[in-house]
Amino acid sequence: MMKTYSPKASEIKREWHVIDAKDEVLGKLSTRIATLLMGKHKAMFARNADVGDFVVVINAEKIKFTGKKGEQKMYYRHSGYPGGLKTISLDKLMETKPEQVIEHAVKGMLPRNLLNAKMMKRLRVFTGETHPYTLKKEKTAKTTAPAAN
Amino acid sequence: MPRVKRGVTTHHRHKKVLELTKGHRATRHTLVKRSKESMIKALSYSYAHRRERKGDMRKLWIVRIGAAARAQGVTYGEFMNNLKVTGVEINRKLLADMAVKEPAAFASLVATAKK
Repeated sequence: MMKTYSPKASEIKREWHVIDAKDEVLGKLSTRIATLLMGKHKAMFARNADVGDFVVVINAEKIKFTGKKGEQKMYYRHSGYPGGLKTISLDKLMETKPEQVIEHAVKGMLPRNLLNAKMMKRLRVFTGETHPYTLKKEKTAKTTAPAAN
Repeated sequence: MPRVKRGVTTHHRHKKVLELTKGHRATRHTLVKRSKESMIKALSYSYAHRRERKGDMRKLWIVRIGAAARAQGVTYGEFMNNLKVTGVEINRKLLADMAVKEPAAFASLVATAKK
């Protein structure tokens, strides 16, 4: 009886993908990023192993939203003290920390387990056209259009 | 009639339970009563999950086949339908294995099924 393949740490090859967020819709972009981070685009995918790739997102501040989400979509956090609920609208957050909008959306799409933090570490979001990583040309060129899930 | 002491059998019975719940949390591996509850749960879970594993594996194969097929430009559903139409009867387990270990063979299969 043959056994189903299970990836070994030595066999995991991680690529870098550069994604331009300009004029992309938040959710649709995030699903693509999440797929790459989880490694669900690879034939060796396994839920118990971290086989995903690195994703670099540029132009985070130029992302698009549909409907009235700017005013209506709220982000909540609680300090733990009475009355400690902080609320911030999407528009406000985009002004100050546009990276956080994408990170929050992607994080919610990843599995909620110990791999979540590992996968999030491989997501790098930046505003503007540039990012601080030097990547090989062919890899960035090949992966700017990752098969739209 | 020889005298029978009940402690011996009781001890054997308890030992059997405690052996099975080694590594369980807190009192669930120390106290006999708690440990017995824990054992019943644990065994019924492992029975159920052995059955669930069949489905889990099939799900995994489907994800893998889907990923490999998408890399060739077809979705999982399209690919499986193409295979069916062309009369290729390879099961999902083998397809997933091909996708990982022999990507070239898998690619040619996708191509032949397309026609």
